[in-house]
Amino acid sequence: MELSRRNFLVAMGLGTATVMAGCATTSGSGAPAADASGPAQGDITFLCALFEGATGKETLEGNLLKQFKEKYPDVNVTVDYTDYGSLNEKITTGLASGLMPDVVTLGVGWIPPFAYKNAIAPLPESLATRYTYEERVLEPSRFDGKLYALPMVLDTRIVAYRKDFFEEAGITAPPKDWAELREIAKELTVRDKDGTLQRAGFDPFSIDLRQCWETFLFGNSGELFSADGREVLFDSPEGVAALQLFLDMVADGSADFALTTEAGQPTTLQQGTSAIMMTNNSLYVQLQQQNPELVDKVGTFVLGNTAPAMLQGGTMISQSASSKNPAAARALVEFLGSPDAVLVASEQRGSVPAISDLRDSDYVKGNPMVAFALENLGKARSEGGTPAWMEIREKIKPTLETAVVGQQTAEQAIAQLAGIADDAIARL
Amino acid sequence: MVAPAFLHALIWIGIPVVAAFVLSFTSYDVLTQPRFIGIQNYLDAFGDPVFRRGMLNTLVYAFFTVPVAMAIALLIALMLDTQLRARALFRTAVFIPQVTATIAVALVWLWIYDPRSGLLNAVLSFFGLPAQNWLSSTTWAMPAVITVGIWQGIGLKMLIYLAALQSLPKDVYEAASVDGASRTRQFFSLTLPLLRPATFFVFVTSVISAFQAFDLIYILTDGGPANTTTMMTYEIYKSAFREFRVGYACAQSIVLFVFLLILTLANRRLNGGDSGRH
Repeated sequence: MELSRRNFLVAMGLGTATVMAGCATTSGSGAPAADASGPAQGDITFLCALFEGATGKETLEGNLLKQFKEKYPDVNVTVDYTDYGSLNEKITTGLASGLMPDVVTLGVGWIPPFAYKNAIAPLPESLATRYTYEERVLEPSRFDGKLYALPMVLDTRIVAYRKDFFEEAGITAPPKDWAELREIAKELTVRDKDGTLQRAGFDPFSIDLRQCWETFLFGNSGELFSADGREVLFDSPEGVAALQLFLDMVADGSADFALTTEAGQPTTLQQGTSAIMMTNNSLYVQLQQQNPELVDKVGTFVLGNTAPAMLQGGTMISQSASSKNPAAARALVEFLGSPDAVLVASEQRGSVPAISDLRDSDYVKGNPMVAFALENLGKARSEGGTPAWMEIREKIKPTLETAVVGQQTAEQAIAQLAGIADDAIARL
Repeated sequence: MVAPAFLHALIWIGIPVVAAFVLSFTSYDVLTQPRFIGIQNYLDAFGDPVFRRGMLNTLVYAFFTVPVAMAIALLIALMLDTQLRARALFRTAVFIPQVTATIAVALVWLWIYDPRSGLLNAVLSFFGLPAQNWLSSTTWAMPAVITVGIWQGIGLKMLIYLAALQSLPKDVYEAASVDGASRTRQFFSLTLPLLRPATFFVFVTSVISAFQAFDLIYILTDGGPANTTTMMTYEIYKSAFREFRVGYACAQSIVLFVFLLILTLANRRLNGGDSGRH
């Protein structure tokens, strides 16, 4: 066979026909909810962004899944481990290839996009009342009035500060609003005689800028989207002011965009290069492991301007709408959403257990930051809220950064972001 | 005899290319059926300031990494084409970055560029120069990425040039020496023209490689700060795998393909084709 131009064109034509046929027959939209009424049996896959590392694998497969197997001997679970950076890609490729895992871990804000496209199956409402949940905790698990996921662990974004630096400066209480934050941050900023920053008063940039800005947006009584997820609300004066606060603090020298915590390294608070920082509740475990001498020197508070707010991230467990063994998948979702599994997963990551009853557990009592987060869950707010979230969330950080580095004003950046979000919602 | 090769090209190149082309005219998010939307994805791509920024960054990255790395690679190849002691050791040392996983290379450079504990700022500090925020500064992030790109790309280019240099006819140089041509004159009048086919090959593969820069960006900067280091490939990846806009990502891929096609054809014409005609 000769590779001629004609052969090539024929091949291209065949390829086009194949793709066009694929376009005509591809399904996915409008898939019915999986019927989980039969006996739990068969092989299922679990795409897992929790239980990292060898310890995590032993915890999941050596402990939890053994218990599951005892309860459901006819179900075989294959675990596909991943991390949050790759979770979205794994799901995308799984969906594209028709190999969507039967059970998946999803992040907060991910339920509306996947539920809207019928990629995940609704769960019975009874699972929402099986254990005690704060309503705020269940909010991200719902779409269109239906429950689509069970929360496992929560990762709240809180403000942490160095008590010793506060005491040295004679500051007796953490800031109550943004004006106090700016004042205290300026007071605690230290520079050497050359003007080089030695300690920033405030480090907002060690967590994702998107999540940091959202925390301040909510703390300023702002909203991301309307209740139906079809209208952008963050382009309000509250949203602009939240971004402007970071710009002002960079301008007055009490925050530095270049000062961040590298993955796996001690935080700026631990290194003493910041006095106050945005962080999450897993900081306590990090302190215990890396700087036990600082455990008593680090305090936490929930900050707001007009309304105290902390951001609630986390990991939820959901069932694929296309599972061939829906009863088995449902059984695993129910099992992983139970207190035993939730507690073990939380302990492994230093996270906040999603079930309120677990606040009396030894783990919560022994971790002040987790206990603090649980006490303040009433002030927790979540990101997302629109089926277009997966597209919008990727654009938030780089767009906000353009303002932080001075390429445009806070108002312009927020307006640009709102335009992107409007377009994404219009494409639904 | 060519049937296996043809089938391979059909399955792994032909069908995906056609699929990408067809999907570029659809709104396709993996989850639902593709919907024909004409050239809307292309209009979106050229109207998207971030993708436009990615195109500009890619051109800047290619502009600096390709000629600079080619010049350095040729220089090193000329040095290594002499009777140098420990020549094999030097060749290996220059080639190592090419065969090292980019992820590992990027992680090492991440440490070198660390603003507080990095090697580069320590060296600057030793000479009394101010430290820089290499990867979080809109001024320095791109040069920092380009530097790694040049460093990593030298090895393969050097190897190709070295092979080409070793195959050059010796009698031509002997004749030139007899005619009294200096070494410099020989380099510009003989070596460079005779290396033209190799240069064409190195240029085309380097441009394609530069336009495909992805893993360095993924590890070093994530396209930031403020999109100053995002590239076309990175935007394609984000559109497809993070935003579920597969149709749009296909349109972006076609734009990248057209870019590469134009550059290759232009270079082919400038160089008189891959046969080295001039």
